[in-house]
Amino acid sequence: MLSRVADSLYWMSRYMERTDSILRMLKINYASSQDSPEDFSWQPVLRIFGSLDDDAVSDLDNNGRKVLQYMVLDRDNPNSVFNMVTIARENARGVQDNITTELWKCLNEFYHVVREERLKYALQFEDPVTVLDALIKECMIYFGVTDITMFRGEGLCFMNVGKYMERAIQSADILDVKLSNLSYDLDKPTDTAYWKYLLMSISGYSLYLKRYQSGFEARNVIDQVLFNVDFPRSVLYSLNQLTRYFERLKGEQNQEGFAKVQFMIGKLRSKVQYSNVQSVSRIGLHDYLTEITTEIDDIGSTLNKYYFAYS
Amino acid sequence: MKATELFHKYPLAGNTWDEMYDEERVRSHYQNVFNSLSSIPADELSKKEELAKGLFMSQGITFTVYSSGEGIEKIFPFDIIPRIITASEWDFIERGIKQRLRALNLFLKDVYHQQFSLKDGIVPIDLIYSCPHYLREMQGVNVPHDIYVHIAGIDLIRDHDGTFYVLEDNLRTPSGVSYMIENREITKRIFPDLIPQNYVRPVTQYPNILYNNLMSLSPGQVSSPNVVLLTPGIYNSAYFEHTTLARLMGIELVEGRDLVVENHKVYMKTTAGLRQVDVIYRRVDDDFLDPLVFNPQSVLGVSGIMSAYRKGNVAIVNAVGNGVADDKAIYVYVPEMIRYYLNEEPILKNVPTYQLEKPDEREHVLKNINKMVVKKTNGSGGYGMLMGHAASEEEIDDYKKEILKAPREFIAQPVISLSNAPCYVNGKAQPRRIDLRPFALCGPNGIEIVPGGLTRVALKEGSLVVNSSQGGGSKDTWVLAK
Repeated sequence: MLSRVADSLYWMSRYMERTDSILRMLKINYASSQDSPEDFSWQPVLRIFGSLDDDAVSDLDNNGRKVLQYMVLDRDNPNSVFNMVTIARENARGVQDNITTELWKCLNEFYHVVREERLKYALQFEDPVTVLDALIKECMIYFGVTDITMFRGEGLCFMNVGKYMERAIQSADILDVKLSNLSYDLDKPTDTAYWKYLLMSISGYSLYLKRYQSGFEARNVIDQVLFNVDFPRSVLYSLNQLTRYFERLKGEQNQEGFAKVQFMIGKLRSKVQYSNVQSVSRIGLHDYLTEITTEIDDIGSTLNKYYFAYS
Repeated sequence: MKATELFHKYPLAGNTWDEMYDEERVRSHYQNVFNSLSSIPADELSKKEELAKGLFMSQGITFTVYSSGEGIEKIFPFDIIPRIITASEWDFIERGIKQRLRALNLFLKDVYHQQFSLKDGIVPIDLIYSCPHYLREMQGVNVPHDIYVHIAGIDLIRDHDGTFYVLEDNLRTPSGVSYMIENREITKRIFPDLIPQNYVRPVTQYPNILYNNLMSLSPGQVSSPNVVLLTPGIYNSAYFEHTTLARLMGIELVEGRDLVVENHKVYMKTTAGLRQVDVIYRRVDDDFLDPLVFNPQSVLGVSGIMSAYRKGNVAIVNAVGNGVADDKAIYVYVPEMIRYYLNEEPILKNVPTYQLEKPDEREHVLKNINKMVVKKTNGSGGYGMLMGHAASEEEIDDYKKEILKAPREFIAQPVISLSNAPCYVNGKAQPRRIDLRPFALCGPNGIEIVPGGLTRVALKEGSLVVNSSQGGGSKDTWVLAK
């Protein structure tokens, strides 16, 4: 496969994963802002996903509608849904001969959806959850079409490598946002709704109820988001999938690159696999989460060097 | 609005061939479509037009126009009423194009080798050397099977009596074939059953024929040649076509930056290292192909590709240097080439063409400029033309000055009216000017022309310019089996 094509597929997939994740995060944060406006702040969201300076962040802080406009449609926010979908589609456009027409069509249609004039109005004056749900549905179509139509080859491996790296980063980031609201104090009493919304934003609510059968407890939530291997958005699950799809790229060629990346993924995976909430609390949650995302970024750079470099 | 009103009061233009009407009577090969369309209520037709637009948009059959940093997707306008060509008309066109291409191929080989036709005075030698598309880098280079023109898109027009004329030979990187294929797919969607009812010949075999021809050009003994399509990239207005053709042929779509030349061999950069490329169907112009040999500013090409080509380590399609044969000044000599190389009379006519380099012809043209179309010999896309009958005094004076500066660069042709075909405009059928670009594929086993082509339409009322860059659109083009 052409290095350029692998690179485009990887980024297309990362941007779509990030789009999906940010949309869910926005939906839940919005719902949460309607529940308890006095303890709610948009600041962590804007800090992690936006690119604004402190003044702009505090300006936006208590204006949920404006935050949504910024996160969904703003042309100057590189992480806005508008920009991410545009980039994903631009990547797909350059590799149309390496994806199915169904997949191309789905991204192309999503691209036209985020360009609809009506969206801005709806986000401002109508029910934002309806708008976010409609966009999340486009993401789900993307994932479904990928699963059903994409050929099981090198291309899909690079897409999945990108997808699970991005997912691990997103889950770690979302957890970090929430914990920073508590100043990383796991014993700080919180409203039930607080954890419920977090879990819902990553589709982990039902699993949590079944698995932990307790009320909402910070340690259990952290356990699920980081270490639960049955939870498709947990960091460990993502790293397991990353390992699985990367191993498939093993071949006669490029043994050096393979060995390097394999080592890095293995190291990170072991680290997460052999941690638990107690050990992590000792290191400090924020540091631990930052280590994870930094190591994933390093894996990305190494992939870039050995697999994607073409120009 | 009542159904039958679609063709009601269809304004027939005088002294112009109408594809559908012979005076007041509908031509027999259009009768079936006339009946079918007349039975559809007008608002249904408008819905079908909307459906067609939606299909082009959602499938990304678009080109991007960039304004203020943001891309806007545009559709190449599509007219829903098909253009119909009878079996006997097609037979004539097919024979004519095949004959012309055989001669043009022989001419290219001749120009770049022994130059018999130049020595025999068939084509003036100074016209060759003054042509910017003549590339001395190609002199003496052998190309596989002596084929230079693998893909040709020869433009045909019809005069007032229905006679076909060749307007220009596009032998470099003719585009539009994806619209031949996609327009047919759209017609299938908007007019169910209409195609089988009319015995329309299919066009879907085009990518297979092209693929087999490309495979056959592979140099050396390679069991499965690596064939790629070289595109200038996503910012090119024909990018959709490049990606469609690559997909339909199952070959890799590459950009210049994906390729590298080492030891006179071309490689592509893959995740498993370098892989040799054997055949390149390029959609990059000669001038941008190799910055070491041609335009040094080019970032679209591949440094060193010409050396690999000249050594025969890679095949390039179409051959490099073909522009010398579709130059508008050399066009004048194509009928003579046919007589000289094939000893046959030309089947398809040339539009009478004056070379402004010749003093007597120039004088004649300048005197009668109101009845002339003046074009640049190396221009394309409808840019830089003067339509004498429509231009202002001032435009004519300016243009005359340009001509006198460099007469070699201009030719003139009497205004040929182009045939009309009914188009769906604002809820009514309206006559609009059309041309026809069939796509011919030359391989080692001969020339094949897929029955169909691109019919371009001048959508502006009264306009004679069909180029997409000048507000033209296209139609599905039917060749009937019987």
